[in-house]
Formats: sequence, C-alpha cells, structure tokens
Amino acid sequence: MPVGPFGLDPLLWAIVRLLIAVVLVVALILNSSLLLIYLERKIQAVMQDRIGPYHTGPFGLLQTFADALKLIAKEDVRAGHTDVAFFIAAPALVFTPMLASYVVLPFAPPLVGADLNIGLLYLATLGSMGVLGIVIAGWASNNKYALVGGLRSAGQLISYEVPGILSLVTAVLVVGSLSMVKITETQTGPLVNLFVLPLAFATYLVSSLAETNRTPFDLPEAESELVAGYLTEYSGMRWGTMLALTEYGNVVVVCSIMTTLWLGGWNGPGVAALPILGVVWFTLKVYALILVFMWVRATLPRLRIDQLMSFCWKILIPTTLLNLAVTAVLLIAFPSTLVPVAIANWILLVAFIVLLPVVQQRRLRQLRKTLRARTAAAGVAS
Amino acid sequence: MPLAAFIAVSAALFFIGVAGVLVRRNAVVILMSVELMLNATNLAFVAFSRRLGVAGERGSVFVVFIFVVAAAEVAVGLAIILAAYRNRPTVDVDQLDEMKG
Amino acid sequence: MLDFLGLVVFAIFTIMIVGAGLGVVLANRVTTSALLMAFTFLNMAGMFVLLGAETIAAFQVLIYVGAITVLILYGVMFTPQTPRAYGLFFQKQTPWGAVLAALAALPVIVVAFSFHDAKTVAPPGGDLNALAIAVFNSFAFPFEVASVLLLAAMVGAIVLVKRESPAAPPAAPLRRSEPPR
Repeated sequence: MPVGPFGLDPLLWAIVRLLIAVVLVVALILNSSLLLIYLERKIQAVMQDRIGPYHTGPFGLLQTFADALKLIAKEDVRAGHTDVAFFIAAPALVFTPMLASYVVLPFAPPLVGADLNIGLLYLATLGSMGVLGIVIAGWASNNKYALVGGLRSAGQLISYEVPGILSLVTAVLVVGSLSMVKITETQTGPLVNLFVLPLAFATYLVSSLAETNRTPFDLPEAESELVAGYLTEYSGMRWGTMLALTEYGNVVVVCSIMTTLWLGGWNGPGVAALPILGVVWFTLKVYALILVFMWVRATLPRLRIDQLMSFCWKILIPTTLLNLAVTAVLLIAFPSTLVPVAIANWILLVAFIVLLPVVQQRRLRQLRKTLRARTAAAGVAS
Repeated sequence: MPLAAFIAVSAALFFIGVAGVLVRRNAVVILMSVELMLNATNLAFVAFSRRLGVAGERGSVFVVFIFVVAAAEVAVGLAIILAAYRNRPTVDVDQLDEMKG
Repeated sequence: MLDFLGLVVFAIFTIMIVGAGLGVVLANRVTTSALLMAFTFLNMAGMFVLLGAETIAAFQVLIYVGAITVLILYGVMFTPQTPRAYGLFFQKQTPWGAVLAALAALPVIVVAFSFHDAKTVAPPGGDLNALAIAVFNSFAFPFEVASVLLLAAMVGAIVLVKRESPAAPPAAPLRRSEPPR
C-alpha cells in the first residue's frame, strides 16, 4: 500500500491537504481584505488631504478589524417579502467562484495550488460565474433598486468580460500557454510582457476595473442613483461577504492575473536561489497594481450607465479586436522575434491614448446636437 | 467508469428535456429544457469521443459547435419571447396562437 | 480506492444532474428553474472533468453558467407572471406528453446499457492541444460558419428586441419647420 507524506494514506493526505489549503486561502482572503480596506481608506485620505482612520489601534490599524467584528456581531436582518432561499444563496454564489480562483494563482514555485494546463481559462470561467449571484441577489431582494442594480451590474460584467478576455487572449498568443506556471516561466528576464504588450495591459486594466466593480465603473453600487444597487437589502456579514470580501478578493485575483501575464509573476532577483522568495515579489507586484486601482478610485468620477456601455462596446472591444488581429498577424509574419509585436503595440497604445479624447469629444458634440434638436422639436410640438 | 453509465445519464437528461418541452406552458422554461437537451448531447459526444479512440478530439469539436448553436439559439429565442410578450403580455405558449388559421 | 472515489463522485454528479433536471421541469417558479438549470450545467461540467475533457468543462461553465443562464434570468425578469395554481404551469396534454417522453426514452436507455464491454472510458491527460488543433485545422471552415451564425444571431436578437422609443418626437417634419439653433 502506498504511503503519502507523514505516513498517511494518500487519499487521506489528499483530503487533509485540501482542508489545509482551504483554511489557508480563506484566512488569506479575510486578512488581505481587512488590510486592503484599511489601505484604501488611508490612501484615499492622503490623496484627499485627510487623516483617515486613526482612533483604533496604532495608526488606526485595528479599525477594519473592529468593523469586521461589528459586521459579524450584527443582527441578521431580512426585509419582508424577500425570497429567503435565493437571498441566502446569493452571497455564497458570489463568494465561491472568487474563492475557487485562488487554486491556480502562482504565488511562488513551491506555492501553487494546482498547475492546471487551462489555468487562465479556469480563471476567466470563474470570473464569469459571479454574475449569476449578483442577478440573484437583485432579484431575491424584492426591491426595485436592488433589481435594477443587479441587472445593470450583470450587463456591465458581461459586457466587460469581452474586452477582458480578448486582452488575455492577446497575451496568451505571445506566451503560448494557458498554464499560469508556464506563463510565469516564460518571463524570467527583465523584459516582461508589459513591454511587449502595453495596450493589452491597458485594456485589461480598464476592463478589470469594471469586472471588480471599482470606481469609475462602480455603477452597481452607485449610492446616489440606486441606493446601493443589489446590496440595498443586505446587512451584517452577508453584506460583508458580498461587498468587502468578494470585491477585495476579486481585486487580488485580477491583479494576480495581470502580475502573472504582464509583470512576470514571481520572477525577481534571488528567486532562482531561494524559490520561496517568489512570494515576496509576487505580493509586491500585486500590491503595486492594487495601489493603481486605489489611485484610480481617488482620481476619477463615476461614469453614467450609457457612457459605460458605449465605452465598452464602441471603443474598448474594437480596440482589443484590432490589437488581437495585429498581434496575431505579426506573430505569424515574424515567428522568431517579438520586436515587431512590441513596436506595433506601443504605436497602438499611443494612438489609443491620443485618439480617445478626440473621439469622445466628437461623440459628445454629436450627442449635444441631437439633444438640442430634440428639445427644440419638443418645444414646437407643445 | 463504463461508457454505458455516461450514456445513460445523457439519455436521462435528454428525455427530461423532452418532457419539459412537451409539458410546460412557459416559453422561457421550454427554452431551458431545450438547453438541457443540447447539454445532454454534449455529454454523449464527449463520452463517445473518449471511448472510441480520441482521434483528434473530433467528438469534443462538435461540443464546441453545440455551444455556439446553444448560445445563438437562446439569444434569438429570448428575443422572440420578449417581442411576443410586448405584443401581448403572456409567455404561455398555448395563448400565443395569433397565427392559427 | 481512487476508482471507488471516482465512482462516488460519478454517482453524486448523476444524482445532481437528474434531480436538478427534473427540478427544472417541475418547479413552479421560473427563477427556480433557471437556477436549477445552472446547477445542472455545473454538474455536467463535473462530468466532463471526470471524462478528462477539462477544456470543454471550462467552456461549459463559461458559456452556460456565465452567459446563457444570466441571459435567461434577464428573460425571466422582463416577463413577469401572475401567480396561479401549480397545475396551470403545465399544458393540457401533460399526461400524454410525459407518457410519450417515457416511451421514447425506453429504447434509448436499453441501447445505452447495451454498451457493456468491460473497457472503461480512459481520461487522457488534457484535451486542450488536441481540441485546439482539431478546431483550427480540420474544422476551420465549420468554425468560420459558426462565427457567422453567432453574428447573425446577435443581429437578429438586436433587431427583434429594439424598439423605437415612444418619447422621441416625430422628428423629421418638425425639424424642417424649425431648425435647431
């Protein structure tokens, strides 16, 4: 009979390993959410010239712990006429896919849950599953703000999945693998994919902002127009699970994807000698990207729903499609070198940045003209 | 697992879908039942592809095409249901009989 | 031992698929049906993984759970229904329909169980490369046709659902009489 580690039966060891991994990942998500919420508040405070949380613990470090304790201790409130089973199921439906995506994240050479050869596809799949929970949450709340918020959010998430996945595909074309470990191993040098595919990175960054419901795309939870979207009826730890844990967990996941695909994952000085050092590099890169997310949140105002949708369908998707086509053609034309791809991508990036305001201005002028014509016509009609 | 087990599950799900199409009134549920039937055929395709020589994953390729057809079907089907609902607020298939001769 | 575990997992998936499938047909609320359908699809993805077709499984979840179920939920929410007696959720010919489905199912199930050679379905490792090569080499033309089909479906769905907004004024003649400043 084969014997696994610690003299355990292999099957038993597999189960024990699974339990350990689940506990570790849940602990990771809980702690990183607490830390990220604190960071978010502190950094926004700095950017807006405030102090931020500072009462609880040194530098206010315990503030989020106190908040979390409050949420857990809160009474479990359910409004009347909610759909009990769906209402309870929705946070789990949102949370579980996010939890499952941590399986394939490559933290360090010895620290990979499972090196699936479809790792990236698996992540994209789980990213699309959260939508279901959001629609169900909106529906089960039996509240029109929640319903509209849920449907809006679903529309937004499904739309922004398209440019996101197209950007990923562009990067996969260059890397040539879907396995997260193999993708990391192709970028050992300092020349990571970011320098080869800057436009794909930019488009993925934008669409992942939308995928994780971050400002300027946080329409689903737009307080001023939809109360709090699909979260309206939720409170206590259900709210905490849906908003805090899932949002920040997802932010970590998308930033890990970007780190792996574009920033070289765990690679960094000293990793070859001491593989576990990869965790440090990986975490540093992920947190750098998260800081970008927070910076964006502190800087940009929220978009309107029609602006959001038309930006996705009329600008982002054509751009990513063009980028994908150009990259594919250049990869076939020059199979041995990535230089033409990189040049084309930088040119496209510059063109994108320069043309975006021009196009938006023109569309805005057009829209104003139509609106003015419509007002004038209405005036005549009355 | 023997092949028969997978094929039996596939057959069971397929006929559940058939029953759904025949039995239900709601057009949206009928659409769902059609999706169940398509998915049952997917299982049969993959199982046969695995069992009868994997020669280039030919069975699985058909599954990919079934995905495409299912997505197209549900998009157009829902659009038709919504358009019909707009004309007459019902999704009961036995009340949508304007074209009866 | 691992074989036995595989059998247990298979049994769980089977029970879930058949149970949730029956739920789709029998549930009296459309939202419940839709969720149970998503659940069926998820378990079906599990079946694909058991068969070693993990790429298909991932696409299954991506397309069916992430897109089709959400689309159907949209459809459910745009077509609200009045509550009514459970019997009214079914057609008048329900008994006949059920009998017909069962009758048709019998021979198929008999045929299904006739595959009893001892050889089991062997999951080879990973179907990603083989699938990609098959789709883009031997099936490149059907693949293009499929993309045209999708485009046609998209255009068709938009045309069917698009509605001229009633708030918009009958613009043309009025605009001619008074041009916008």
